[in-house]
Amino acid sequence: MNNKSASPKAGKVIRCKAAICRIPGKPLVIEEIEVEPPKAWEIRIKILCTSLCHSDVTFWKSSTDLPKLPLPVIFGHEAVGVVESVGEYVEEVKERDLVLPIFHRDCGECRDCKSSKSNTCSKFGRGYRPNMPRDGTSRFRELKGDVIHHFLNISSFTEYSVVDITHVVKITPHIPLGIACLLSCGVSTGVGAAWKVAGVEVGSTVAIFGLGAVGLAVAEGARLNRASKIIGVDINPEKFEIGKKFGITDFINPATCGDKTVSQVIKEMTDGGADYCFECIGLTSVMNDAFNSSREGWGKTVILGVEMHGSPISLNSIEILKGRSVCGTYFGGLKPRSDIATLAQKYLDKELNLGEFITHEVSFHDINKAFDLLLEGKSLRCIIWMDKLI
Amino acid sequence: MDIEKPSNKTAGKPIQCRAAIATAPGEPLVIDEVIVDPPNSHEVRVRIICTSLCHSDVTFWKMKDFPAVFPRILGHEAIGVVESVGENVDGVVEGDVVIPHFLADCTECVGCRSKKGNLCSAFPFKISPWMPRDQTSRFKDLRGETIHHFVSVSSFSEYTVLDIAHVVKVDPTVPPNRACLLSCGVSTGVGAAWRTANVEVGSTVVIFGLGSIGLAVAEGARLCGATRIIGVDVISEKFEIGKRFGVTEFVNSKNCGDKSVSQIIIDMTDGGADYCFECVGLASLVQEAYACCRKGWGKTIVLGVDQPGSQLSLSSFEVLHSGKILMGSLFGGLKAKSDIPILLKRYMDKELELDKFVTHEMKFEEINSAFDLLIKGKCLRCVIWMGE
Repeated sequence: MNNKSASPKAGKVIRCKAAICRIPGKPLVIEEIEVEPPKAWEIRIKILCTSLCHSDVTFWKSSTDLPKLPLPVIFGHEAVGVVESVGEYVEEVKERDLVLPIFHRDCGECRDCKSSKSNTCSKFGRGYRPNMPRDGTSRFRELKGDVIHHFLNISSFTEYSVVDITHVVKITPHIPLGIACLLSCGVSTGVGAAWKVAGVEVGSTVAIFGLGAVGLAVAEGARLNRASKIIGVDINPEKFEIGKKFGITDFINPATCGDKTVSQVIKEMTDGGADYCFECIGLTSVMNDAFNSSREGWGKTVILGVEMHGSPISLNSIEILKGRSVCGTYFGGLKPRSDIATLAQKYLDKELNLGEFITHEVSFHDINKAFDLLLEGKSLRCIIWMDKLI
Repeated sequence: MDIEKPSNKTAGKPIQCRAAIATAPGEPLVIDEVIVDPPNSHEVRVRIICTSLCHSDVTFWKMKDFPAVFPRILGHEAIGVVESVGENVDGVVEGDVVIPHFLADCTECVGCRSKKGNLCSAFPFKISPWMPRDQTSRFKDLRGETIHHFVSVSSFSEYTVLDIAHVVKVDPTVPPNRACLLSCGVSTGVGAAWRTANVEVGSTVVIFGLGSIGLAVAEGARLCGATRIIGVDVISEKFEIGKRFGVTEFVNSKNCGDKSVSQIIIDMTDGGADYCFECVGLASLVQEAYACCRKGWGKTIVLGVDQPGSQLSLSSFEVLHSGKILMGSLFGGLKAKSDIPILLKRYMDKELELDKFVTHEMKFEEINSAFDLLIKGKCLRCVIWMGE
């Protein structure tokens, strides 16, 4: 093992720019911050590009309601970067490796990581706590010394970040950076949900509620697995044209169903209900609709949307008895250490089409434009380049 | 048409025989003479050998509103001999020993041909008062008034008529007072562990409700190689009984003190069970069962039948975050025509144990005491012998 680091700043604090949220819902402010060197089992990453995911927006808008999200905070969790330096005991990656930070932990060692049945790593318990997972402290400081908090154990809206090794995956340099960045959250979540969680098979019928990037990624995953019918449900009629690029075969706008409910329309279209239904918004009323649209006998409903108020899903007990199942998933059931490389290869083999997810690109100093575009429903993924001027 | 007493000349003619009729909600069944029409196309008429009482019979006997109807011949767990067959019946002839099954298996439709489920799409499950193909009844009382069917079986009668989609031919040498159990309850429980949950060797299983279904789940989990089978019930005596069915540990949900049942089970299992079965029929217990399951891969299986219209309520955040699966099945996920014979063979090979489910045997005239015993929780399965 080479003990001599090539990085000039190894072991030292790095001063760099970061986009900071101090007040929920207000534009991020780019400031100089200090980033400490990585401790044991941590790495410091130079972020090359990052993208905005709706989960960032959800927490940015309502962060004062959530006790586990202290401010000020650096958002962002979908990114690709280069390892600048590593802390003690890190063997999986070395300086200059291209890596994805992944909000969904994979230690590779605990009972859950070893089981093929689960992707919910239990190495540091099951709850989420802010900042670094092992000691709960932050590696970010304002120039005057006050703590700035991490987000989802990642924080990618910064030129440099520090991430625990259980949140890092190497990625092949053959893949374009913008595409690599997508694989670190939303697109993997959707494709994984169709491929691994649902197990969509040839000839299946699929219904997807919510055609944002995650829903469209589910469609792409279903298309890859040769579903025969991929029904997209969205209140924005423009999503149909967009959706066709990702495999959507049929479109339902709930606002134009007339007297019928969405689930009635889906049951008619699928002769009894879809084999697999996916909720990709985060609204319990839609989760209920998704369940009611699934076929009796074997219909599976998969919940991906994050419902922030914890309100209950309501399922008719007889309909459950009739062979239906419901589950939720983080990160599409994928195990980052093994599955991201598989998706990257499928992209390189031209089986998985991911380029259409990137609808906009901005430079880091225009990061707030990415928020505007997403909030206005005008973008799927906006890539934010740290070094490039767009 | 002449109405005759049963003989080998009864084919094609109505039969007069005895049936136990439910006349009003919760009232003792009345044993009276009824007329049983000959089988129509795709139907068989069967002489019931023995039948057993299942809790679902009690549920629809007590119920006042639709889908309960009166007068009705209840009973759906049974075994019999084919007396005559209607047109277009293949695979079953007069004299065959058959087991009726309330869940249709036509073997031809999309649902039946799929390996992923067991719900027939040609004859979807419902609590129907009629024969499934033409929505009429084959039963009349002596005044000519219609008597309703129950889930396409109606076995509390010396003779009944069954659609071919609801009948499976079985080995005639099986003891009928054991084989009849596979027509519903035991199959449902064993199937739930075997087919619906797919319990694997070494699993930890929790069963809410140690009635016949719950104990059948335990038996199924035992056969699948589960190492821990935790039974949850409110009656402590159920533990001793449960041990004979493979239950390894017991939690009395009335004696948990400050802790919830789920907290106790999570502590006992270091994080939750691999499979949790709800075998009572209460939406609130389903939530408790869901809470007992292990995060990451725990499966909650709903078997109990709650009131029509009841809703299961789950936190959406918990569903997303926990990685648990909630599922349900009818008839243990089994396809009757293929799986009942498999289970029967496992009984004959002395792997599946059925004897321990039969706590009482009685004559047809005593059928109301079977209801009393079940309602008071003093029996598992009462087998009722119809004939001489």
